[in-house]
Amino acid sequence: MSSPPAGPTPESNTRRERLARAARNADRTRIALYAVLGALVGFYLAPLEAGLMTAFKTTDAFNRSVPFLPPIAEGFTLEPWRVAFRELWNGLINSLLLAVPATVLSAGLGSIAAYGLTTIDWKYQMPIVALFVAGIFIPYQAVLVPLSRLFAIVDTQSLLSVLWGLPLMEEHYASILNLIVTHVAYGIPITFLLFRAYYQSFSNEMIEAAKLDGASVFSIYRNIVLPLSKPMFAVTLIYQFTQIWNDLLFALVILPSGGGAAAPVTVALNALSGGIVQSFNTQMAGAFVAALPTLIVYVLFGEQFAKGVAS
Amino acid sequence: MAELTLDGVTKWFDDGGDRIVAVDDADVEIEDGEFLVLVGPSGCGKSTTLRMVAGLETVSQGDIRLGDHSITDEPPTTRDIAMVFQSYALYPHMTVRENMSFGLEESTDMPDDEIRSRVAETAEMMGIADLLDRKPRELSGGQQQRVALGRAIVRDPEVFLMDEPLSNLDAKLRAQMRTELQRIQEDLDVTTMYVTHDQTEAMTMGDRIAILDDGRLQQVGTPLECYHEPANQFVAGFIGEPSMNFLDVELAGGSLVGDAFEYPLSEETLADLEGHDSLVVGIRPEDIELDGAADASHSYPTTVDVVEPMGNENNVYLTFDDDASAQTVVVTVSGMRKVDAGQQVAARIPEEAIHVFDRETGRALHNRTLDRAEVTEPNV
Amino acid sequence: MQRLTDVLRRLRPGAGGSVRGSGAGGEGEPGQTASGDGSDAGDERLRADGGVAAAEETGGRRSLLSSDFVQSIPFWLPPFLLMGFFVYGAIGWNFVISLTDFSGLVLPEYDVSNFDLDMYRQALNDPTFWTAAQNTLVLLVVFTALCLVFGLLLAILVDQGIRFENTFRTIYLLPMSLSFVVTAKFWAWMYNPEIGMINVTLSQLGLDVLTLQWISNPDTKLAAVIFALIWQFSGYAMVVYLAGLRAIPDDHYEAARVDGASTLKMYWRVILPQLRASTMSAAVVLMVFALKAFDFLYVMFGNNPGPAADILATMMFREAFGSNQWAYGSAIAIVLFAMALAVVAPYLYAEYRRGEL
Repeated sequence: MSSPPAGPTPESNTRRERLARAARNADRTRIALYAVLGALVGFYLAPLEAGLMTAFKTTDAFNRSVPFLPPIAEGFTLEPWRVAFRELWNGLINSLLLAVPATVLSAGLGSIAAYGLTTIDWKYQMPIVALFVAGIFIPYQAVLVPLSRLFAIVDTQSLLSVLWGLPLMEEHYASILNLIVTHVAYGIPITFLLFRAYYQSFSNEMIEAAKLDGASVFSIYRNIVLPLSKPMFAVTLIYQFTQIWNDLLFALVILPSGGGAAAPVTVALNALSGGIVQSFNTQMAGAFVAALPTLIVYVLFGEQFAKGVAS
Repeated sequence: MAELTLDGVTKWFDDGGDRIVAVDDADVEIEDGEFLVLVGPSGCGKSTTLRMVAGLETVSQGDIRLGDHSITDEPPTTRDIAMVFQSYALYPHMTVRENMSFGLEESTDMPDDEIRSRVAETAEMMGIADLLDRKPRELSGGQQQRVALGRAIVRDPEVFLMDEPLSNLDAKLRAQMRTELQRIQEDLDVTTMYVTHDQTEAMTMGDRIAILDDGRLQQVGTPLECYHEPANQFVAGFIGEPSMNFLDVELAGGSLVGDAFEYPLSEETLADLEGHDSLVVGIRPEDIELDGAADASHSYPTTVDVVEPMGNENNVYLTFDDDASAQTVVVTVSGMRKVDAGQQVAARIPEEAIHVFDRETGRALHNRTLDRAEVTEPNV
Repeated sequence: MQRLTDVLRRLRPGAGGSVRGSGAGGEGEPGQTASGDGSDAGDERLRADGGVAAAEETGGRRSLLSSDFVQSIPFWLPPFLLMGFFVYGAIGWNFVISLTDFSGLVLPEYDVSNFDLDMYRQALNDPTFWTAAQNTLVLLVVFTALCLVFGLLLAILVDQGIRFENTFRTIYLLPMSLSFVVTAKFWAWMYNPEIGMINVTLSQLGLDVLTLQWISNPDTKLAAVIFALIWQFSGYAMVVYLAGLRAIPDDHYEAARVDGASTLKMYWRVILPQLRASTMSAAVVLMVFALKAFDFLYVMFGNNPGPAADILATMMFREAFGSNQWAYGSAIAIVLFAMALAVVAPYLYAEYRRGEL
């Protein structure tokens, strides 16, 4: 019987308990252990902490003070945040318009592909599975030139020209659409693999029982597999959202030079340094603004994210 | 109406050019309403046979018919067969009610309220009415088992298939469910094919049992037939607990000659053995009599090696006094009878109770005389 | 199709057509068994015409197999086509472009007679290419190895039954959730020679000697990049190793303890060998990350990080999208692709052989 993936196994719990008991006797080792762990926390958080402090400092203050100390009195300012939000606002909207549909689509397509190649079992599926999985490891440089050619030939903006007259529609959405399609296509391999591993853990007998109950393959997906996929959808959606939100390369290649009106937040953040604002405080504030959605997702669903990367 | 026929059913797998035969030319007819138990050691092909009937495995050769029409090439979806799996295979995200309704929703056009009342009725009968709104993980193993059965019953199928449905239960619950399952099957009168590796289950539950070994049907018959008239040495050894004793013998001068004994035979028995020299003689543990003195014919001096008290009876392991090979023979005696290790006893092997098999082919040449079968309770 | 197999089956001697005597052994007569003498002959026949039987078997199986296959198509084919076109179609297209002389703002000409390997030849004679290839290899190997070692140490520390384990784990993995663009910003600030955190901290500790121009000095540039990438991805290696450690049964730890092994020896002799699978999969994924480190370098250095930190990914982007040397860029991309393939193909094959794909 398949159940949603459980946390640490009972064995590991008992092992941890036993180890913990043994270790309590050696207090000194314990203290050293926590000291090391704490130092490592410092190591991982230092760049973020220094960045956060800097983002609240005036140019004058960060030029003179120690980077990781908080700003003092007149050195404190919110100006960098105001600038960062102003400069990145459009990018945030674009990234959201891009990441949400691309995430949902790539997860959905990965799920049905994995169902068709895992739960429905047929003889010569391995080569196709291999092609899906190998797609994860492709260096994107190998497809950049064709991608730029493709979107030079397929002019989404004119093809969908009827849409741009509608309310709430803007012409630069065409570029975002191109990016969505691209991200969906390159996201399918990883979502496929995640779902495939999950579906392999399903009990065969359960699927067979459904067949004998008279359920068609569509009904089995709709009534059995899909409802049971919820935990894996959480993992996949979170993982894909961070990946797509964080991407820079495809946006650089597919969007018109400089990103234009369709630039996602990563492109906008990168432009912050070269453009108007040279100051580190604004750049740091910008980095946090751009990272905010993924940080929120990560803090709320860190467990699922860990599961996504571990598989 | 729902007579299930397996006609020369064969299943083979290709393993890199080698053909592995899992089920070899199986012929079985299961009458309408009959409870047939398919029994054999693990890996004998019994589950494969069941899965072919369900449509979960393709048939390599042969035909499976339900009533008059062949279902060999039908997908499992349309066979009107319900199956109970060893793992129960309940849908974990559905309540008991949804688990039981699913099959009716998928395979029939039955209106919702009718499905509801049928599920309620079946749940009542299975004693799970108060569990209908729970999820499988909130149920005990025994309750899950009932739900799995209920899910099959509510469909009112032509055939029930059961794949070791009781093997995940503890011993006490298993005995209880065994009786209940039998009662339900009798009430519903649905053709049933039941797979198990447990010969006790086979003996107690089946109208008839089919014994499989190494992909081949060894014998199909009522439990008592298989017990008293085994078709071959495999069946004789597989059915019955403790197993039948086997001793290698040669036929010489009208007697069976073994390492440690010589066993004279009557004319009738000898007639059955004509043309075979290399033999195995078999005797059930409960048919050996411990007389205490070696005076009668067919009696041999033996020493008690080990005594296993079972409570109601004792399993006594004997060695023949002259036997160098130290082969033991097991005898069951009443639990009240006191036997000690090391004790000298005379063991009488009555001629009417012996089975004789050809050592080469294992085929039964001579089985015990049957008029005694009525008075001897099978010991399983 | 099904009809046909039916007919074929009927025609075959001794198969479905010929009905055997009623229910074998049904009457319970001793000796009447399904595998008696009679069916031995059947067995021989079955083997004798095995060829025909095999043909029929595949036919019979295909009817069901094809229905499973046919029913599975709507599920996997659309995603497969989309993915296949963008991944494999594009790689093929890229290869074709690499055979042309496509450059500048004109349109590419796909003229088979003009296809040649000039671009690859050009690459082999280009010192920049060799530098970039060398840097790519160094990045790949050093980054992956250090990440694994560091990740394993982290995993062992976190696996000691500590309190707040989840919190520690979450913090160590946090950088991985960040965009390369964001982390590059942070590290550019960390490495700032005058007011960056690293140099400021060093001088406060009185270690002014060690303060360096981390990301403009060619000697430290690549190392600085690798260090930042390790910061970002060692948490990933930790998570993979942690899963591996948790999969090792308790008894192994206890057996080693009973045998009197020291902690260090226990990990080295008993635990580490069992983490081979974790190491393999983490290594492959880390190498893929390293190959994708383009974003990081691009944000930190623009499209030309200079010879000390130039990798094939940045060189390809510069040639294609900076200098419009499309065909040359494509050729470099194919080399990069071949490198990735060399890493991944053996791994995927091994996974396939172990039945874990």
